[in-house]
Amino acid sequence: MLSSLSRRRVVVLLILTSLLLITLDRRGNNAFIDKARQAFAVVMRPFDVAADAVSKPIANAWYGITHYDDLKAENEALHDQVENQKGAEVEAQTAITKYYELLKLYRLTSVHNYKSVIAQVVGEAPSNFQNTVEITVGTRDGIAVGMPVTDGAGLIGKVTKVYPDRSVVMLIIDPQFTVQAQVLSRVDSEDASSTTASTPPNTAISGRPLDSTTSTSTTTTTAPVSSTTTTTAAAAGATTGQTTTSSSSTTTSTLPDVIVRRETGDIGGQGADRPLLFSLIDDTALTNVKVGDTVETAGGTKSLAPQAIPIGTITAVNPRLGSRSPDVEVEPNASLTQLNFVAVVLFVPNQAAI
Amino acid sequence: MRSLPFALFTRLIPVALVVLAIQRTVCATYRVDGVAVQVVLALAAGAGAGAGSERGAFAGFALGMMYDLAVGTPLGLTALAYGLAGLTSGYVLSITPDPQWWLAAIFVAIGSAVGEAAIPVVKFLTGQEGWLTDRLILEIPVVTAAATLLSPLFVPLGRWCAGARRRTWRAIPE
Repeated sequence: MLSSLSRRRVVVLLILTSLLLITLDRRGNNAFIDKARQAFAVVMRPFDVAADAVSKPIANAWYGITHYDDLKAENEALHDQVENQKGAEVEAQTAITKYYELLKLYRLTSVHNYKSVIAQVVGEAPSNFQNTVEITVGTRDGIAVGMPVTDGAGLIGKVTKVYPDRSVVMLIIDPQFTVQAQVLSRVDSEDASSTTASTPPNTAISGRPLDSTTSTSTTTTTAPVSSTTTTTAAAAGATTGQTTTSSSSTTTSTLPDVIVRRETGDIGGQGADRPLLFSLIDDTALTNVKVGDTVETAGGTKSLAPQAIPIGTITAVNPRLGSRSPDVEVEPNASLTQLNFVAVVLFVPNQAAI
Repeated sequence: MRSLPFALFTRLIPVALVVLAIQRTVCATYRVDGVAVQVVLALAAGAGAGAGSERGAFAGFALGMMYDLAVGTPLGLTALAYGLAGLTSGYVLSITPDPQWWLAAIFVAIGSAVGEAAIPVVKFLTGQEGWLTDRLILEIPVVTAAATLLSPLFVPLGRWCAGARRRTWRAIPE
């Protein structure tokens, strides 16, 4: 009966049925559709496993043969990189410890306050119009829709669908993805002095650490920190045959200013092969963000993610017609095409953020 | 010729499960310049070129529904696009009842291009913006080329899945 319909009726039937289904699915009242999806996933699983088991060894062998030299060179380069990073790791660990202390001191929350669940990426989206990956954890592991997902380098996306033993993660490059973000940009001392000319400089005693970085909002600036340094130099001329002398001197020097401005906004994807787009909340304000600044999650009660998950680095700041704030392009830290192990942060965002 | 519902349940669904598994594993992982080849779309277009517009449209719709269920896209979105692909490629049988392989391949290419282009359009119409970009200039040719190469296999397979038989010329009796 179906095939005896005229072509025009077939078209009308298809369009109407599809629009009805899309509407039902997108309205959210989709318990039946979710159950159908779960049942279909169970049916599909053996076929997926079989296809993977057949194709992977062949593809790996082919890749190994054709890319042997590249793999060898990449392996050596990675070894060098690891060696270089060992020194930086010690320094970073010290900074992280201080950061924890400050968080505890000021009772602030960040990503470090939340537990995370490690998962493996088992599949990419088969469609060209979907930037998602599938991971190996689900509701059984405490995963819920909206939770942020990270890898070692930074935020990679959020959980959009959860099943008992797997979840679908929308990547940050997806056009539907948005998260509140902040840029912590260092301001040059010239810029700062022009805005703080009337503020008397602070003084500090020598030996005080320079990490007294002050974070301010977009419209507030911090006074530059000058210091009066009192140094007692006990110069011991220890060379043989010379008279040992000692002297005491007082010098005054100005320490370099460390001023950081915090710019907040929304960051979202633009699709594969395109940078993320950072939009300032107040698009009438002048901004100090510049290429090379790092972008991280802003946190807050209505945010999708806790504060301080790295997102990426600003690669371009392009002026925008009709607005004082520019188009800010951000390159994600995470390599989204080579995901393997990821961590789901057990942070349940506000329903409005999802 | 088998009835369409019978063919859909006994032939199309088992074949679609296998093709869908290939799509989700092989095609999703090994991409051509970042573009995933769409074998399910190629089968939908092949069904149209092999069995005609009406059967092709229903076969494409069923394949798209399975795709939506498996991938998590809004139910009906891919079904509509693949239904249009089957419908479009089926026009080849309006030209000739027994098309040459290359003519069927051309219509499979057209059908797959329509199906691939329809997805961002339907997404846009349903409020999911951001997919109508210049990247389509790369994606559609890659998907179309792959479907064309697969058409010698997928046109007969699609015809069988849609429960149709190959039409042949018959002499009119005197």
